[in-house]
Amino acid sequence: MDTPKSDLLQGTLDVLILKIVALEPLHGYGIAQRIRQISLDVLQVQQGSLYPALHRLEKRGWLRAEWGEAETGREAKFYSLTRVGRKQLEAETANWDRLSEAVTLILRAAE
Amino acid sequence: MWFGKRRAEARLSSELRYHLDKLTEEYAASGMSPEAARLRARQEFGGIEQVKEDCRDIRGRWLEDLIKDVRYAARGLRRSPGFLAVAVLSLALGIGANTSIFSLINAVMLRSLPVREPDRLVLITRLRDEGKPASVSYPLFHHFRASLRSISVSAAHRTSSPTIVIDGSDEVAEADLVSGDYFSMLGVEPSVGRLLDAADDVLAPESPAAVISHRYWQRRFAGNSDAIGKRFTIGDKFLTIVGVTPPSFVGVRPGRTPDLMLPLTPMLSQEEREEPTNNNLNMIARLKPGATVQQVNAEVQVSWDQFIRAVAAPLPEKDRARILRQRAKAFPAHNGVNPLQYDFSQPLFVLMGIVGLVLLLACANLSGLLLARAASRQREISIRLAIGACRGRLVRQFLAESLLLAALGAVTGLCLSYWFSGVLVNMLADSGGLTLNVAPDWHVLAFTCATSVLACVLAGLAPGIHAVRGSLRPALKEARTVGHRRLGRSLVIAQLAVSMVLVVGAALFLETLVKLHRVERGMQTGGLLTFTVRSAEPYPAARGLAIRAALLERLSSLPGVEAASAAATLVIAGNLWVRKVQVQGYTYRPDEDETAALNVVSPRYFATMSTPLLLGRDFDPRDTTAGPKVAIVNERFARSFFGGESPVGRRLTSNDVTYEIVGVVADVKYRSLRDASPRQFYIPWTQREGEQPASYNYLLRAREGDPLRLGSSLERVVSEVDPSLRLGRWRSYAAIVDQTIVNERIMATLGGFFGLLALIIACLGIFGMMAFQVSRRINELGVRMALGAGRGDIVALVLREVTLMLIAGVVIGGACARAMSGLAGRMLFGVTPTDTGVFALAAVALGASALAAGWLPAHRASHIDPMTALRHE
Repeated sequence: MDTPKSDLLQGTLDVLILKIVALEPLHGYGIAQRIRQISLDVLQVQQGSLYPALHRLEKRGWLRAEWGEAETGREAKFYSLTRVGRKQLEAETANWDRLSEAVTLILRAAE
Repeated sequence: MWFGKRRAEARLSSELRYHLDKLTEEYAASGMSPEAARLRARQEFGGIEQVKEDCRDIRGRWLEDLIKDVRYAARGLRRSPGFLAVAVLSLALGIGANTSIFSLINAVMLRSLPVREPDRLVLITRLRDEGKPASVSYPLFHHFRASLRSISVSAAHRTSSPTIVIDGSDEVAEADLVSGDYFSMLGVEPSVGRLLDAADDVLAPESPAAVISHRYWQRRFAGNSDAIGKRFTIGDKFLTIVGVTPPSFVGVRPGRTPDLMLPLTPMLSQEEREEPTNNNLNMIARLKPGATVQQVNAEVQVSWDQFIRAVAAPLPEKDRARILRQRAKAFPAHNGVNPLQYDFSQPLFVLMGIVGLVLLLACANLSGLLLARAASRQREISIRLAIGACRGRLVRQFLAESLLLAALGAVTGLCLSYWFSGVLVNMLADSGGLTLNVAPDWHVLAFTCATSVLACVLAGLAPGIHAVRGSLRPALKEARTVGHRRLGRSLVIAQLAVSMVLVVGAALFLETLVKLHRVERGMQTGGLLTFTVRSAEPYPAARGLAIRAALLERLSSLPGVEAASAAATLVIAGNLWVRKVQVQGYTYRPDEDETAALNVVSPRYFATMSTPLLLGRDFDPRDTTAGPKVAIVNERFARSFFGGESPVGRRLTSNDVTYEIVGVVADVKYRSLRDASPRQFYIPWTQREGEQPASYNYLLRAREGDPLRLGSSLERVVSEVDPSLRLGRWRSYAAIVDQTIVNERIMATLGGFFGLLALIIACLGIFGMMAFQVSRRINELGVRMALGAGRGDIVALVLREVTLMLIAGVVIGGACARAMSGLAGRMLFGVTPTDTGVFALAAVALGASALAAGWLPAHRASHIDPMTALRHE
């Protein structure tokens, strides 16, 4: 009953994280869950790449991190989008749309 | 910082733990046992440490890594104290020597005067023939002052050492005569009272005002405020102290702090004020806002041209050319009137070059040591590369080690240089007359830091890169060893080449000093004592002569004194007193120099100096003030005016007085040991109407032993002859002559020291390299011996390598030395920069040391037991 899983395209993890966090501040586990849920279990994020990516985005100033209380009452690190991050998200979304349209065009034409 | 780092680590752990716990919960909720859920979560999560490492990498960690590397290096170095000591010592010597010489350059050339906006000061001056600044006359100062438009305010300054009488006692003070705008130009405010201004700088004030320095105020008046208003006399002038300069003010001439500052115009003689070619003032000016030194210089050219044409116009054609040849220029003067800059700059720059080479040598040596160390750590490096260390990281670790060494070397070197600059200043100082501030300032500290970083990179980079290159490929191992040997060899050759340059330099400077000591002086400087006397008030001429004669008489009868006499000018002490002379029956060629050097001397002068009288007679009691005027000339004088004929009985005229030549003496060096002996004539002190020496230097020849022993009785003798006479400084003549070659002695001493140091470092390098090679080739040597090689063969094998490196080093070094030694050209004497003997000597010295250093490992190699050697891993 497992859905076939796809590997993330190189470089798309960042934009996915930005998008998820744009909806609401979330911790790492939540982000991974959300990506899986929204993609209907198609996309699985490896923790090994998730956390370095989060730290990288934080260092670039696109994410802001705050420690807060999670639903269970435990302390967790919540990531939220900064203003710069929002701009970046818009730019990358536009970029993705262009790219996927182009790829789709080519793939359809080839048939 | 540490706290922040620990916190970040804790946060990272807790962030990841949260994720893991949530995963576990999730699996447990789906019905797994807690045990199985945890296991599954761990599996899915993957390597926590790996994730952490990746996160740390992203956060940036070079500082953290650096600290780790430095700690690791410190641990490693603690384990090999011998290596540490040699490395730090050689670096400290290199860095210390560089810092000391740089401190001196800083003190002599770079340090600005502690006045307002020193960068806006310019020195406006005539030039000496060799392009160095000379001085200006009082009329020229006023001419410049009136005609230059780019300067806002200007002042003249000259040094003098008058005898002052204050509170009934007399003393010699260091005085600066300064024009009215001096203090306002420098922007100096009084610390007590007032400073001099334009109203003081007038021809005949009622009582000229004087300002004293803070140092003199403290020393002479214990900082007491009743010093203000005190009156004192200089010659026939009464002066009043009106104020004190601030403690930071040290005058405008580095190395000399004045006690008194006196107004210029009233203190000058009429001749000094009016004669346009009586040049003894320094002129400093402040640039107008927006003006540049170049602008001032352009104006100076025009202004100077007008002035000098006016001076030359009335002169005869022949003298005019000489006068018009002179030039003038404006110099930046942020460091004041600084003759030291010109006297010491060449030796200091050459020394800077020498110590630079010493540092290079120390780096090459350290590099060799690090290389050997890296080779013995090869296994460790291979393992670390194999488990994934990246090369850059390993190179950084090597750099950390040399950085640590450089830091230790820098600190030790700074301490060393503090002591060493003190020694250097003492060598340069004219027995306390020179006060140079060599305390480290930010220039010096920045220089030391830069030097150390450079040393660290130079020494550590090559071995570091070499050690991590290709370590993983066992097939290339053999090639690596060859590469290692090649690098090691090039380092030794580099050391030998640098040493060759330094040894050649040392030999050239030592040879110069020896030649200067051996050069024919025409007199015996050993065993001579010289001193001056002064009287609080000047005597009338006849009384002065009688007192001087009485003094000489008393001196000659002192026990232990063989002869006593006096002369107006001390020869070979940097002085030159020349006069135009006309010789009866001789006509000058149009381009010929018409001057001869002059000295006014007492009877028995030549006997006291041990200068041989070649012809005629010495001055004697017949030559009275009223008697016929006589002169004695030197050999060169006789040869140049009379050819082969005897000059005795011929006449010469100087300053409108005609003298009959009564004798000829041997040539004596006059100004310095370097300068050839000029044409000289001597006249007796009883007949000096045309020539007015300011004072006399007395000379005593000791019967035996140290002439300074005679000094103790001088005070009593002088005051017995006349109570108003004061004894000045007494010194041995040899010490005075030695002082004129202080630069040469410094170059020889330091050159010799650094040359020797270079030899030692190079020998250490060779020894280390060969010992290391032998220990690596022990198997091979064992095989050779087992196959029948004798001890001699093994020694020859090792020494052949040393010899090859030696030849390469000597050839390369010799070529470099030849290219560079020309830079020292003018500093040398009696030896050319490319003297074959000197080069051969240096090569032999280097060769002998190198072979000696190589022989020890060779000897050891020849005494290994073949069986042990073959078993050696």
